[in-house]
Amino acid sequence: MEKKDKLRVLVVDDERAIRRFLRPVLEAHQYTVMEAETGAAALTAAATGHPDLIILDLGLPDMEGTEVTRRLREWTTVPIFILSVREQENDKIAALDAGADDYLTKPFGMGELLARLRVALRRRVQPDARARFEVGALVVDFARRLVTLDQHEVALTPTEYDLLRVLVQNAGKVLTHHQLLRQVWGPGYENELHLLRVNVSNLRHKIETNPSRPHYIVTEPGVGYRLRA
Amino acid sequence: MSLELVATGTGLSVFLKQYLSPTNLVMIYLLTVVIAAGYLGRGPAILTSLLGVLSFDFFIIPPAMSVAVADTEYVLTFISLLAVGLLISTLMAQQREQLEAIRLYEGETSALYALSRDLAVAEEIAAIVLAIVTNVGHTLARDVVVFLAEDGALRRFPLDDTVPLDVQERAVVEWVWTTRRPAGLGAEQYGDAPGYYVPLKTAQRALGVLGVRSREEPEALTAPQRRLLEALVGQAALALERAQLAEITRRAQLLEATEKLQAALLNSISHDLRTPLVTITGALTTLDDAETALNAQARRALIGTAREEAERLNRLVENLLDMTRLEAGALRIRQAPEDVQDVIGSALEELGPRLGQRPIRVDIAANLPFAVLDFVLIVHVLVNIMDNALKYSAPGAPITVQARAVAGEVEIRVIDQGIGIPPEDLLRIFDKFYRVQRPTHVSGTGLGLAISKGIVEAHGGRIWAENAPEGGAVIVLRLPQEHTL
Repeated sequence: MEKKDKLRVLVVDDERAIRRFLRPVLEAHQYTVMEAETGAAALTAAATGHPDLIILDLGLPDMEGTEVTRRLREWTTVPIFILSVREQENDKIAALDAGADDYLTKPFGMGELLARLRVALRRRVQPDARARFEVGALVVDFARRLVTLDQHEVALTPTEYDLLRVLVQNAGKVLTHHQLLRQVWGPGYENELHLLRVNVSNLRHKIETNPSRPHYIVTEPGVGYRLRA
Repeated sequence: MSLELVATGTGLSVFLKQYLSPTNLVMIYLLTVVIAAGYLGRGPAILTSLLGVLSFDFFIIPPAMSVAVADTEYVLTFISLLAVGLLISTLMAQQREQLEAIRLYEGETSALYALSRDLAVAEEIAAIVLAIVTNVGHTLARDVVVFLAEDGALRRFPLDDTVPLDVQERAVVEWVWTTRRPAGLGAEQYGDAPGYYVPLKTAQRALGVLGVRSREEPEALTAPQRRLLEALVGQAALALERAQLAEITRRAQLLEATEKLQAALLNSISHDLRTPLVTITGALTTLDDAETALNAQARRALIGTAREEAERLNRLVENLLDMTRLEAGALRIRQAPEDVQDVIGSALEELGPRLGQRPIRVDIAANLPFAVLDFVLIVHVLVNIMDNALKYSAPGAPITVQARAVAGEVEIRVIDQGIGIPPEDLLRIFDKFYRVQRPTHVSGTGLGLAISKGIVEAHGGRIWAENAPEGGAVIVLRLPQEHTL
């Protein structure tokens, strides 16, 4: 692959050990790696280096991750990938609500990171506008508003269908509770977590073989849900 | 008063003189003496009898309005009246004194009883001091200050309404403390001080100083009051000594327990932190060593082991952090109505590869109400519990997770078919760093269940362990149900 065709990843982390370990792995997978140690440096590098994806650590010395995300989102739609530790739950959710695309909690496996990066990049290259979505035995036909599981039609309420549609259109990406509530129920419903819980539960009973070990709709504890791509 | 009594008696006698003989009128004078003796005390009674004799002579005995006595017969009347008056007044006075003594004794007894009753329920030093201050203050109607010896120095016991002491009083307190003798207002030493101070001492040792001060004008204690104070202080000192000894014992025990805990912690941590590190370092150095010719399978096995150990290390660090947060009260609980099935599913998802081929049965009651919980933390609790179930039962033995509504709560049971828990350990497994000793090959810090208990209790829920009748351990969780909020 030519150098100019390589995807450029901006790694923002103040810990040298993390950057030192991410660089060779990412380079081995044909990414060009840029580095920044602070939020301010990240904003500059994002503006001048035109990265295709940003890996953003939440524990930066100068700026909250939410703030970095918010400032980036003022002018760019570049996929932002959050790295966090468990103590930063709130900040992580805030960053996702501010427009970050996905997150991983440290420590993480490289395989998982690379897979998630590919999902984020694919969505960037061609936004999912397919009329029909298929994952495993589940098929969602947007044109006909039809959901089938193993070729059997699944009867969904309008809300359940909207919920599934939003999840499917963002397949592989985590959607926070707020995002789902806003997109399915509309603005003003962001705190009606209960509505979401009940509808997810009902939806799972209709499309999951074992609702206690869901295959399609995965819970991200404390954050939201993700449709397994 | 004596004058008034005699005047009244005389007036009455003069009025009755026309009807009665003077000899009988003596009775009226006797009555005044009795009244005086009964209500006024000995002195007034004697005065009344003398005045009575005089006025009897002056007003009643012919010739009236003269001290002269016409009939010598009346001399006997005079002497009798005086003698009877003196006798009665003496007897009455004695009775009064006895009554007074009984009353005082009763007061002392009830004061002592009240104090001992309050001291009996007070265990801590602060509670004892409060009981002393309240009781002594109430009994003597004075403000009470208490100084206790602490590491050799005398410190004033802090009370809510502490009034500042002046330099002089401080000096009195020091003198009392050094000499172990009472001093202050009304005593030989420092008699002009505003308060009276006594040492708080038992037969063995001195514990401090107690002082009483009038609330308004300085007023010395009477001898009986001092006796009472002495009795009260003696009792107070005994109670204080008992509490101080108990406190010393408790501190020693606590110190011992803390030391044991720290030793256990160090032991556990050094072992549990080092084991994975040894494995990881070993795997990495082997892989790095170009001399070693490893086939692909062996390399994969090494990498797999290193990865598992790294994950174990991560769990250990997370548990230690959680424990620290729980103990520091820094763990924030965000409770919301949640779908228990989702919580259980998320825990199973998080356990992921650790479950391996283990058969897991999830049994959720139909129409189970939502439980009010912090999703992330309860997932964490379930992961800890299921991790134990995995560790303490055979690789092929099924693990069952049940959820149902019980009496306004949602109950989650995690049931394994392992070796169970020795009955004497059913409670102790929730203690920090406690691990059932039997299978020595099982690794862990003994923190998982302690953290789980902390989290569940912070939810207002309960967690306990049982042994299943058919063998195996059961951990039961009860959390508030949605509509009970």
